[in-house]
Amino acid sequence: MKNFRRLLPMLGLLTAVATATPAYDFYICANINRNYVIGSKIVTTNGIFQRTDAGAWRHFGYNDTSISALAFDPRDRNVIYTATLNGLWRSLDGGKNWRISNGWDMTEGRDVAVDPNAPDHVYLALPDGIAVSTDRAETLVRRENGLPERGKFTQAIKVDRTRAGRVFAGCEVGIFLTEDGAQNWRQVFATKETVNDLQQSPHDPQLWVAATQSAGALISRDGGLKWVRLAGVPTERALYNITFDVTNPARLAIGSWAHGVLTTEDGGATWTSRNAGLPENPRVWRVGVDPEGRLYASVFQETLFHSDDFGRTWQPNDLVGSLVNYFVTLPKAAN
Amino acid sequence: MSAQPSFEGPAPVVTTVPAEDQRLAAYHARVDEVLAWRASRVDLNDIPGTMDMASIAILLTLGRDIDACNERVLQMMAEPGTGPFWMFPAVCVAFTGRDLLSPEARASIREAWRTTRQLRGDTENHWVMYYASLYLMSELYPNEPAETWYTGRSSEENLAEAREWLIHWMDTTTTVGQGEFNTTHYIGEYAIPMLFMASWAKDPVMKQRGRMILDWMFAELATVTLNGVLRGPNARSDEGSVIERWNALASYFSWLLFGNTPSPAGYGGWGLYFAPVAKNYVLPEVIHRIAVERDGDYVQRDRARTRRYWRYSDELSPPVYKTNYLRRDYAVGSTQGIVNDVIQAHVWDVTWREEDPRGKHPTMFSLHPHSSGRMMQAQFSTYPEPMPVSVPFEGKPSYNSPDKILGASPYEKVFQDLDTVIALYDIAPGEHFPHINGFFSKDLVNVTEDKSGWIFAQGGQAYLAYRPLAPYHWIPYLHFASGWAKERQDLGGRVLTSPHLKNGTIVQAASVAEFESFAAFQAAINALPLEFTLEPVPAVKFTTLRGKQVAFTYGETPVVAGVPVDYAQWKLFEGPYLNAEVGGRKLTITHGRLQRVLDFNTLTIKDRVIE
Amino acid sequence: MKKFLALLLLATVAVAQPSYEAPMPGPPPDTRPDTLRRAYLERVNETLDWYLEAIDPAKPLTREQALVKLVRREDADLASQRILELLAEPQSGDMFWMFPWTAIAFAGRDQLSPEARAAIRDAWRTYFPMRGDTENHWVMYYSSLFLMTELYPGEPGETWFNGKSSAENHAEARDFLLHWMDIATTIGQGEFNATHYIGEYAIPMLYLATWSEDPAMRQRGRMLLDLLMAELADNTLHGVLRGPNARTDDNSVIQRWHALATYFSWTMYGHIPPPPHYGGWGIYFAIAAAHYDPPPLFYRIATDREYDREQHDHKRSRRRWRYSDVEMMPVYKTGYIRRDYAVGSYQGGLSDPIQAHVWDVTWAVPDPRGVHNTIFSTHPLSSSRVLQMYFTEYPDWMIDLLASQGKPSYGVPDKILSCSPYEQVFQDLDTIIALYDIPPGIVHQRINGFFSKDLLDVTEAKSGWIFARGGNTYLAYRPLAPYAWEDLLGYRQLPRTGGSGYVWERFRPEGEVDRILVSPHPQNGTIVQAASADEFASFAAFQAAINALPLAFTLQPTPAVKFTTLRGKQVEFTYGAAPVLDGKPVGYTSWKLFEGPHLNAELGARKITISHGRQHRVLDFNTVTTTDYVTP
Repeated sequence: MKNFRRLLPMLGLLTAVATATPAYDFYICANINRNYVIGSKIVTTNGIFQRTDAGAWRHFGYNDTSISALAFDPRDRNVIYTATLNGLWRSLDGGKNWRISNGWDMTEGRDVAVDPNAPDHVYLALPDGIAVSTDRAETLVRRENGLPERGKFTQAIKVDRTRAGRVFAGCEVGIFLTEDGAQNWRQVFATKETVNDLQQSPHDPQLWVAATQSAGALISRDGGLKWVRLAGVPTERALYNITFDVTNPARLAIGSWAHGVLTTEDGGATWTSRNAGLPENPRVWRVGVDPEGRLYASVFQETLFHSDDFGRTWQPNDLVGSLVNYFVTLPKAAN
Repeated sequence: MSAQPSFEGPAPVVTTVPAEDQRLAAYHARVDEVLAWRASRVDLNDIPGTMDMASIAILLTLGRDIDACNERVLQMMAEPGTGPFWMFPAVCVAFTGRDLLSPEARASIREAWRTTRQLRGDTENHWVMYYASLYLMSELYPNEPAETWYTGRSSEENLAEAREWLIHWMDTTTTVGQGEFNTTHYIGEYAIPMLFMASWAKDPVMKQRGRMILDWMFAELATVTLNGVLRGPNARSDEGSVIERWNALASYFSWLLFGNTPSPAGYGGWGLYFAPVAKNYVLPEVIHRIAVERDGDYVQRDRARTRRYWRYSDELSPPVYKTNYLRRDYAVGSTQGIVNDVIQAHVWDVTWREEDPRGKHPTMFSLHPHSSGRMMQAQFSTYPEPMPVSVPFEGKPSYNSPDKILGASPYEKVFQDLDTVIALYDIAPGEHFPHINGFFSKDLVNVTEDKSGWIFAQGGQAYLAYRPLAPYHWIPYLHFASGWAKERQDLGGRVLTSPHLKNGTIVQAASVAEFESFAAFQAAINALPLEFTLEPVPAVKFTTLRGKQVAFTYGETPVVAGVPVDYAQWKLFEGPYLNAEVGGRKLTITHGRLQRVLDFNTLTIKDRVIE
Repeated sequence: MKKFLALLLLATVAVAQPSYEAPMPGPPPDTRPDTLRRAYLERVNETLDWYLEAIDPAKPLTREQALVKLVRREDADLASQRILELLAEPQSGDMFWMFPWTAIAFAGRDQLSPEARAAIRDAWRTYFPMRGDTENHWVMYYSSLFLMTELYPGEPGETWFNGKSSAENHAEARDFLLHWMDIATTIGQGEFNATHYIGEYAIPMLYLATWSEDPAMRQRGRMLLDLLMAELADNTLHGVLRGPNARTDDNSVIQRWHALATYFSWTMYGHIPPPPHYGGWGIYFAIAAAHYDPPPLFYRIATDREYDREQHDHKRSRRRWRYSDVEMMPVYKTGYIRRDYAVGSYQGGLSDPIQAHVWDVTWAVPDPRGVHNTIFSTHPLSSSRVLQMYFTEYPDWMIDLLASQGKPSYGVPDKILSCSPYEQVFQDLDTIIALYDIPPGIVHQRINGFFSKDLLDVTEAKSGWIFARGGNTYLAYRPLAPYAWEDLLGYRQLPRTGGSGYVWERFRPEGEVDRILVSPHPQNGTIVQAASADEFASFAAFQAAINALPLAFTLQPTPAVKFTTLRGKQVEFTYGAAPVLDGKPVGYTSWKLFEGPHLNAELGARKITISHGRQHRVLDFNTVTTTDYVTP
């Protein structure tokens, strides 16, 4: 979930005018091509979808099965970045035209983040490190000083909204922090396997959470310097992502192939499995919460489900056979 | 269906064709056979149903049915594909049709390269196809602005990026070796783009490089094939080719270039894209002779590398050490036992010669059927769970099957000396499949389980001795007929399954001609000194049929006649036919008085005849 | 010249020749390797098709038609039958018989009837071909013998015309071929840049490259063919072989396009129309041409005229049996080629006694067919003693014999095809100075300057210079002695009056005729200066520039010239002395085998580097190695 700092001023307004047309835009990156393998024909529409006011999903941009993450320039909604199999793509015109930003030396972009306090700065997570652009992805350079030579597989990259150039990276061997725009990195938490997701609380910028492959879920209450395991979240299987609920500081949700959906409504003290109503043994790929508090679960190649009671009951949404890789919520763009 | 003479006809007799004109005429006749076969399958009353991009390129090459080609190109370009497997066929049509197709058809191809985002893929062969295609299209349409290409980059930017990567790849291949070495099918996905480069690149540097890499790959193919059949270790293979060793795209290239084995059905599918351009390549005689005229038994020791490890490895691409020993009646090949590719690798085998290899399973080997989300994560940027369950539906059907016979394992270590192979296994507790599988072909005869513990058999003109180091039982071999097969077929053959974590296999091969009888062979094997233990780790001391004393302990360096094997000293290629230093960028191909040197340092091809 | 018998036979075939009759060819759509290869094979097939289309069902196949049938793998029975008929007739042609039958033997070795193959084999026992007396004769003879004895190994002496066994013949042929290649790659060919005889080297070399079982001989054949084709590419002006020729003829020396060499330019590079009947012998190259792959590098040398280039090469004369201090005179060849014209020469003297052409300026024309686009002068030497230097003949009847052997002009005073011991030539870039000092008693006491019918604005200026325009080239010709004009008559063959020789008459060609400038003075000279019309505002401006060039000369006691060329070089050249350029004597002895932008080789090195831009091919005959490389 991205750019909540810009979202917060309107959250109170949301509750006041809950029935009014939602004052936000909601995007997902979805791959709807089951068992796609390089060389097979793409027979469906994949990539970026925006939820319309009527609740339907409107595709825009290229039909790309490989988009793993999405980011917007906070100053200009037409400036869009996607992390994909080919690397990093950038559009300056709302997705009509795109340019690949990287050359052959970077591939398989895992995550992308824009610094809200330095919006020309774009961070790209790669399977073999981290690349940074300081010119809106016109050019990209690797900035890996402080990352280990081996062990820098980077699945998640998130920018601290409180300070320019303060960025966290979820890597193969732990969580790394830079405070100088990726000139230097240091490890703030060590893991044996990959850190899969990092999130900053929309309610408290000092509060961060992480989902990992074999170290369970982690929490930091001091701006990401000290991390501890969230008791009650299993560690023996991989957690794919974790999300806050922008409408309720006590609520978080975790998506996991093995565990399905796990939620907490007491700030992480206790966790409950919320799979009733989902397919049996749901292989949950991602969870997300929209600014109305609706919880989404993308079940591996099944469909996208949503819950208006934070997982107690589920309804199938649209996008049959989809994998949703990313949820993005932004204040509604001015028409 | 139209006849495919070389697929349906008798197996060719393997002979040297010394006369340049007859060799070239025979090569052109094979090329023409492919073109004629595919062209004959085109029905102008059913253009969408019978014309694909290969047939368009072939008709254009034949100068036939140009109107139909134009029509079909317009249809196909209305819905362009994505990724390298669409790109190189589109390039083939764009170039074979560049002065034959209508302006509208040509424009439609060009437009597809603006409108449709092409995935670069994630394997070595994907990138070769992707960048060779992007290079050639950018050269065909120079000086065009960024907005006219799907990349959002100008012709010059695309060309520069593609050129840089292709040179980087060639540099890697010629210094530490290919990652996808000796692949049964993917060889086409290197040979075809490189032929395109050699035929169509304007830049003499890239033309020369394409030509040189083509020679390099075909020289290697010639050296590791037995009567045209690719055997031994493969970076990547599949459930069919790993046992019916002939049934591979590699055999199409052996047939087309060397004429020493039948063509696979449909000319290997992708082979159809090599054929329209094939007459722009002439196989150097020295390579032809390596393929068809062996001077006797030989050992070839080569280096290669693994697929890139994104994580969970101390090295990005650990080295692979390949040993191949080829004789008239059989060949033995192996790597040291390493997961060079997490899904499709084949580590070792003994493969015997069949006069007609079609439908035969002339091979023997064992493996640990490894299946692991973590290993998937090592080579793919993925999560642990999805791939093991999805890969079987993505063209690799046996990946998650306990009785599979395709794959490498981190728990297998192999040593080969001439025609002796020792494979040791130390499978970690909790591994998905806690057993090993040995493949026993339907085409073996006289399979005899001797009380000595050896299993004896005969395949073609080869005697085989297989020694399992732990108790076992037999299960039928059930075959996946294709990568997308749902059902499994019983084609005959068995799998020796040994459900023990600490395990091993010894195989010793010999020529029938070396012994008076099968019994004499068995007696000779039973007389060979053999000691082994499985605890705490598997360890073998064995004196081979060739009199070599081998000591091999799992996790330790093998010792031959008291001397540890020093893999660090291995060259990129070392043998009677191919020689190259690691890091040298220079391959010397030799056969008798003929020599060709490919020097990528100076972009030099040197042909020499020793008088 | 038995080959012209074959040409005359072919001349009776009246089937369209697309490329000969078509407008000038344009450039290929692109120069990618596949395009060049495809276009090359299309030209090869055009040649083959022409022979097949000329087949008259009512008439028996010609030898060439039977061969093409075999190459196309059509009607092997018909070809077999026809071969039996052809071989039942009395055979003739010597080495010109040997290589066609070698081609038939190999093309048909797996499809002719056993009887036809046996008949061919037996012909090599019953017919006795002479080996001839020229370099090209021996190359054809021994290449054919080498290949046929490989095709029929292990056969005894009585089965071969010369009584030697297969092994003996093979060894002898191999020895000569290696010896010849050794000479050609150390001091150069004797029959260099021949307008017609190039085929008689290229064809046997192609056959060795294609059919020899010995990989070394295959490689050597291919390497020699590369050398011949690269040199052709380097010496042609838009496909036309110009400049000095060891051997040419009365026609090709003025209609420079009209030569077998042009067939090879066309086949290899496609930038010029082929000569009629594909040059006659061209078919014998075409039947195996698919087995040769002209390197794109050669194409670029042949077609790239975007820059001026100068090439200095070393050749040799024909072997002298007597009346000479040296067995072979070194030949120092200079070529200077620009977009609009080319200037070429050797230093003068005798290279070949009959058919040599020493120097010329040849200009580019939009279509060279029928155009006499060249200017030069020569001393029309006629000398039995000179002929005896080269031939083992008696003096008295040779001159008459030559006419009957197809060289009608040898003895005539107005001939334009000649070299002479009394001519010395110096060239610097596009300036030529030719000096003559003809002793008393020498036949003939004059020099002839060739002035083409295709020259425009020929202007005899008061200054003594004669100015003219040829294509986009301005020419200035300075005779050093008084002269008169004569029309140049042609030679017409008359019906034979018995015997096998030719009979000729002179005739006046229709329409515009060429003229010769006749200067009947034994001490004499010619200066020619060429320039591109683009270099001057007008023809008048060119003339003014030439008239302003410092020039001093004397003819007594020997001709001597001091001249500052249009390119600002000061040249001093005295007959019998080394030329002096900007104060430095020209040191011919330091010349390399090849030296220029495209071909380079040291004398004696057996190693030739062929280059264009970043592409290079090295032919190393020491190690029988071909090396291709591209400089990044």
